Amino acid sequence: MAAADVRGLVKRYPSFELRDVTFSLETGRITGFVGRNGAGKTTTIKAMLNMIRPNGGEVCFFGKPLAGNEAEIKKRVGYSTGTVSWYPRKKIRDIVSIVRRFYDTWDEAACRRYTEMFGLDMEKTPLELSEGMKVKLNLMLALSHRAEMLILDEPTSGLDPFSRSELLDVFTGLKAEGVAVFFSTHIISDLEKCADDIVYISRGRIVAALPKEDFMRTNAAPGESLEDALLRLEGGAIHA
Amino acid sequence: MRNVLIKEMRLSASPLTYLFILFGCMFLIPGYPILCGAFFVTLGIFHGFQSAREANDIVFSTLLPIAKKDVVRGKYIFVCLIEGAAWVLMGMSTALRMTAFSQAEVYRANALMNANPFALGAACVIFGLFNGIFVGGFFRTAYKLGKPFVIYTIVAFLVITAAESLHFIPGLSRLNAFGAADVPLQFAAMLGGAVIFAVMTVLSCRKACKDFERIDL
Repeated sequence: MAAADVRGLVKRYPSFELRDVTFSLETGRITGFVGRNGAGKTTTIKAMLNMIRPNGGEVCFFGKPLAGNEAEIKKRVGYSTGTVSWYPRKKIRDIVSIVRRFYDTWDEAACRRYTEMFGLDMEKTPLELSEGMKVKLNLMLALSHRAEMLILDEPTSGLDPFSRSELLDVFTGLKAEGVAVFFSTHIISDLEKCADDIVYISRGRIVAALPKEDFMRTNAAPGESLEDALLRLEGGAIHA
Repeated sequence: MRNVLIKEMRLSASPLTYLFILFGCMFLIPGYPILCGAFFVTLGIFHGFQSAREANDIVFSTLLPIAKKDVVRGKYIFVCLIEGAAWVLMGMSTALRMTAFSQAEVYRANALMNANPFALGAACVIFGLFNGIFVGGFFRTAYKLGKPFVIYTIVAFLVITAAESLHFIPGLSRLNAFGAADVPLQFAAMLGGAVIFAVMTVLSCRKACKDFERIDL
């Protein structure tokens, strides 16, 4: 079953255009979203979350269009974006106490588990956190309300290798529970470890949206790693 | 909406927003343009918008499981609550001046606007202008604060000056009368101010909801 369907998404900026972005995200699968800086990953994710208004196309979650079902869909979707910090001078405890009010599915045990796993101190403020810890705070908030789908914009950037490995294990655990995980990353080895599907975007256009095995079969030369294949494809795209 | 309001009060608001409610008590100051109190209250709200912007409050709110228009409505309701609290203080100060302190010479010989129901109505107009010009203007971009606040400030001080001078116009001195004789007229003026506040706030909120849907965060 499709957790999310992105169909024909178009967003025009003066110097950049997201063109006919179409892909589908299945429940119980981990999808890696790759592309170089400025390729359109964050724009796509923002459009999926109604943070920017697309010029065309439609986004559906769980079979329902985002338009008109925004609040209900957002309850079922967890989102985390890199190192952005909210309310830098408020205690994490206060931020969490407000966020949990919005979710009737808030899982206090999961919140405690991820707080402990990520080594977060509830008495600290986001201002006192390193960039990596800010990522972990955002992830803890996204993971604590039993979301059926997670959309994570570069969740592993800034994390140490141990935390990255822990996080990939978390993704695998969530996948087993039927959660759809969609995350953008520049760390291709993370995709090699845990991704089931690859969505590859280049210059605002989806080049491939395939199961990882199919992607490798159709795009990688014999013996080539996913990273090597993507580097070669991206080189070709740039020179095209 | 209750949760959005709690978020506004506990995360988004600045302590100054609450502290500046006390400027509603400026209605007790004799020989002072008391409508400036209403302006100072809005200055506290403006500071809250500034600190909320630095805290990425709007993006945070948009990611919560609420419709985008509820982010806007939550802000408007919070602003109205602050204005309402200040207005209650203004009302209490006015009641004191008109009753317990009615014989005080400093109030009887007041050269400027008296604290009376007309002044309360004028305060409503100031608050309505803030909601219409500043809050509405902010939601056209959700980050630009300066321009709408400067425009609001200019318009607000024009209105304050007009309201302070109105009673010098022949026939309008009753609006500034001290005592009970012209209270019905002043209450009618207050009601007019409240209607202006409500219309400006509701229209501005509706437009802000549409504007906020259109902008990219």
